[in-house]
Amino acid sequence: MFRVRFHGRGGQGVKTASRVLGTALFHAGFEVQDAPRYGAERRGAPIFAYVRADRQPIFERGVIVRPDLVVVVDDTLLTLPAAAVLQGIAPHTLLLVHSAQPAEALRAKLKAPGQLVTIAPREVAATGLQPQGAMMTVGAAARLLGVVPRQALESAAGEELAALPAKLRQRSLALTLDGFDGVEAPGGPVRELPAEPAEDYDRPRWIALPFEDARIASPTIYGAGTSMLSKTGLWRVQRPVIDRERCRRCVWVCGTYCPDNAIAADAGGYPVIDYDHCKGCMICLVNCPSHAIAAVVESQAREAAAAGDAP
Amino acid sequence: MSETRFKALKDLPAQHLLLPGTPMCPGCGGLEVVKQVYDVLGENTVFVNAAGCLTLLATYPFTPFRGSWIYTAMASAPAGAQGIRDALDILIAKGRLPPAQNLDVVVLSGDGAAYGMGLGPTSAAIDRGLDFYYLCYDNEGYGNTGQQTSAATPAGARTATDHGPVGFAGEKKDLFSIWVAHHPPYVATITSADPVDLARKVETARGHAGPKLFIALAQCPTGWHYDPKDTVQMGRLAVATGIWPLKAYAGGRVTHTRRPKPKGERPPVEEYLRAQGRFDHLFSPTRNEEALARIQARVDAYWDAAE
Repeated sequence: MFRVRFHGRGGQGVKTASRVLGTALFHAGFEVQDAPRYGAERRGAPIFAYVRADRQPIFERGVIVRPDLVVVVDDTLLTLPAAAVLQGIAPHTLLLVHSAQPAEALRAKLKAPGQLVTIAPREVAATGLQPQGAMMTVGAAARLLGVVPRQALESAAGEELAALPAKLRQRSLALTLDGFDGVEAPGGPVRELPAEPAEDYDRPRWIALPFEDARIASPTIYGAGTSMLSKTGLWRVQRPVIDRERCRRCVWVCGTYCPDNAIAADAGGYPVIDYDHCKGCMICLVNCPSHAIAAVVESQAREAAAAGDAP
Repeated sequence: MSETRFKALKDLPAQHLLLPGTPMCPGCGGLEVVKQVYDVLGENTVFVNAAGCLTLLATYPFTPFRGSWIYTAMASAPAGAQGIRDALDILIAKGRLPPAQNLDVVVLSGDGAAYGMGLGPTSAAIDRGLDFYYLCYDNEGYGNTGQQTSAATPAGARTATDHGPVGFAGEKKDLFSIWVAHHPPYVATITSADPVDLARKVETARGHAGPKLFIALAQCPTGWHYDPKDTVQMGRLAVATGIWPLKAYAGGRVTHTRRPKPKGERPPVEEYLRAQGRFDHLFSPTRNEEALARIQARVDAYWDAAE
């Protein structure tokens, strides 16, 4: 059985990519499971999707914990522990990363035990989410599996993208096939693990929930403002940075328009952005009367902060 | 409203009550509205949320509210509000709750519930004279499930269920007029892109007992297909082009609180439509002149009649 896990951010086309791969495998004669996995997360939040494919009926269910192929659409997730991109990877696991970084350097940085293949972004988008990357990456993933004919991928992409406007559909289809044609795995295609013996089966850790009165069984939150514990700053792909020299301290502008209440005045009346929660929508940047807010690519801002020269 | 404490952005509350960390999309117009309304209503507020995007606000065990919030099925929020109002009234009458600790009951409802399956229960709550606020955040589709057409979807918009060459072939329902036909004490339209107008209306509503109803434009980058940074601009364009009239009903008459420039001087609706991917098909590959003219004519006819 092939077990493929996709990682990306909400809005990057990860769900569509996993569907394209699942459908392509189906056209190639496989039994297929494909499922996106997300909860209440939205655009920009780390999400994942997974595909299982086998020549016989699949009885395994749930999240893939031992992937054969991990597809990473957004390389900024690699350094986010919350995204759990590397979870369960083994020496046989092939990592396919949509990234401009050289494969060897990335492999060393991540201490990846197995093969790592990169596919370079077509256009370097300085900011924002790049849905096109997912299509190129899924094309490459299909190639790396070694069992998906180009024709099966093409018809699967055609089906799954049918609802898109014509121009976008053609572009996405072309990128998918470019990804298929443009990737090589020096170490050979993805290897399937042999089926695990039944005695190694890891039992789910069920929690027994007996029937209870609604006053006990319904979820009730007794604390106020507990959403502060949820670090939505992880969703950010761009970071708004305030230039204090230009800031005129009219915090009632950025503070009122920020949908997330992530801007508050400090003791000196200067607006301060709460990067633990700012989702990087950039409404503050667009509405700042003195143009004192700049957009910095989040991964660069984080690297700069790690190097000790925080913006 | 000359005695209002809100004359400019600077007069708005500097401390915001709604806390960050919610699962709403970056640039969510609905969240921006709730944040601004909550600031004016204050902490003594209990929210009753009909199923929709904003029910994700309080996803166990997280809540961005300082007080209580309850989740109901789509059509049931007015019933939930009635139960809470009655409970508060009984507790106060029995002396078990000091009147100073009374709470305002606020329904949060998306357009799917407000314009559609929740309309009957809302009508009945107005009939009963329920003392509550009703805030519809209108993103013109079933946004939480992928922007399917709702009764609030505007003419021509592409949705997950109307993605043919003309988009949605019907017209947006006039919920404001339906509510006004019940003659409640207060009805208003608002947008978070005009926070001063919004704050004044919420402040005015506070002076009325009984049903106080709001329809807020909830610009939706995800469902309308525009960059999240442009949420405020999208609201301003909606007002400037005249497609989202800002108005209030009180004392038996409707007043427009902001007027776009006269016909010929105001920007064409096209400027608002062109900025959103959900109207792309009206411009490319060829311009749908007939549809654009029809949408513009409806807006012009509205303002001609509003004199």
